[in-house]
Amino acid sequence: MTAAARTYWLTEPCRIRREDNSIRIERPDQTPIRIPITDIRDLVAFDHVDVNTSVVSLLNRHDITVHLLDHYGNYAGSFTPHEGMSSALALRRQVEVTSDTHLRLTAARDIVATTAANVKWALDTDLLDAPLKRLTEDLPTAGDSNALMGIEGNFRRSSWEVLDTMLPPWLRLNGRTRRPPSNAGNAFISYVNTIVYARMLTALRCTPLHPAIGFLHADTDRRRNTLALDLAEPFKPLFAERLLRRAAAQKTLRQSDFESDVARASLSKGGRKKVAEMLRAELASTVYHRSLKRKVSYEELIHLEALKIVRLCLEGTSYKPFRPWW
Amino acid sequence: MTEETDNGIGGVHIKYLLHCPRQLWLYSRGYRPEQNNSSVAFGEALDATTYTRRRDIDLGEAKIDWVTTGAVVHETKSSRTPSPQHEAQVRHYCLLLARLGVNIARGVVHYPLVRRTTEVAWDAFARAEAEKTEQAAKDVIAADQPAPRLPRSRCRGCSYRDYCWGDL
Repeated sequence: MTAAARTYWLTEPCRIRREDNSIRIERPDQTPIRIPITDIRDLVAFDHVDVNTSVVSLLNRHDITVHLLDHYGNYAGSFTPHEGMSSALALRRQVEVTSDTHLRLTAARDIVATTAANVKWALDTDLLDAPLKRLTEDLPTAGDSNALMGIEGNFRRSSWEVLDTMLPPWLRLNGRTRRPPSNAGNAFISYVNTIVYARMLTALRCTPLHPAIGFLHADTDRRRNTLALDLAEPFKPLFAERLLRRAAAQKTLRQSDFESDVARASLSKGGRKKVAEMLRAELASTVYHRSLKRKVSYEELIHLEALKIVRLCLEGTSYKPFRPWW
Repeated sequence: MTEETDNGIGGVHIKYLLHCPRQLWLYSRGYRPEQNNSSVAFGEALDATTYTRRRDIDLGEAKIDWVTTGAVVHETKSSRTPSPQHEAQVRHYCLLLARLGVNIARGVVHYPLVRRTTEVAWDAFARAEAEKTEQAAKDVIAADQPAPRLPRSRCRGCSYRDYCWGDL
């Protein structure tokens, strides 16, 4: 993980310009902000951003990804630099590992089981014990990834219901909906999940792996990168569910932070900023890692997860998805 | 920093072999996290800002910092203390040049931060040493599995540490 560089979150409409060999960000109201190019790992754009070719070539030279989110917080795409980290050998191994049905399904099963355990951990409740037990019983019988996703879906439905009991009425999900999310709670979850996906994509870009060759999700899932979707899965409860509960308990979010319409909702400009702020703080919070013998941030945990797949591909060690140990 | 293609043994290969064979194995397999490492960035910055009138010599598999008259091979290091790795790297460059038919005089390692230099002799013994090291590097790369991890204390500052020690 980069020692100095960090993620910049562009929560307001702005124009990115190149100034000599560095970056200047112009916002409508304030004086421009200058960022040293070596200080940027990636940019997350929450709002309209203007770029031109000179900026793009500079970002490309420094391997900086720009993630773009649309108005509803869906992942809209990203500008990614050329793959300077790619290695034919690692990629070939990745293809071998994922095309072996047994290996792929084992990893996929682990991902589903771990995600469910993480959801229970994030919600911190006994109400999910029964669905979790049913999930662990069903998993060995699932023969392909569709069946696995179905089992996961069943569990998730009960988990959303449990989550609803912890939220104030206006923030309740009442069934998970996406594209577009139907109410405030759904809008929040979609937004956070998108960002976790983008973080995973950035982490994968720092490894020789290809982010589209994965285990669990369909290969052409909304044209998104399968491996990034897979690996982001265990991390989503850590951020989405937990932050939603916390925001409700601490009353950080208000109804005015969402733009609600009939059957669709999205975060308002102020709400987007608040969520970005919460996420940044959360990604920067640290836990002690026993074998690295130092504190690692949640952001680095995502990076370590990507490295596990590199290890699986190069050395053939088994892949154990992330579980919170604290 | 030296840069090389996959068809030969370059300076980085030698340096990694002497530090940790596992690191060399991973490097040769295409996992190269060092571009995000701040000490590597520091070394590159130092290389770019010292001895700027000299020009790199690109051999394909290795990039030699510079060579002066009488075929003296020079190498800049951002370290403050001489190490056997540095000398071995210079010896390897001498070997590569000698194979091209250059009559090598000796090598010099520069430590601009402490303004010191170290001489590296080039004779039959040094050549045998360089060839031995090159063969060792080839053996490590050809292995199926990487060497085991070094003891924890020797991984300090290594850019592969997250990879090697990141599993719980």
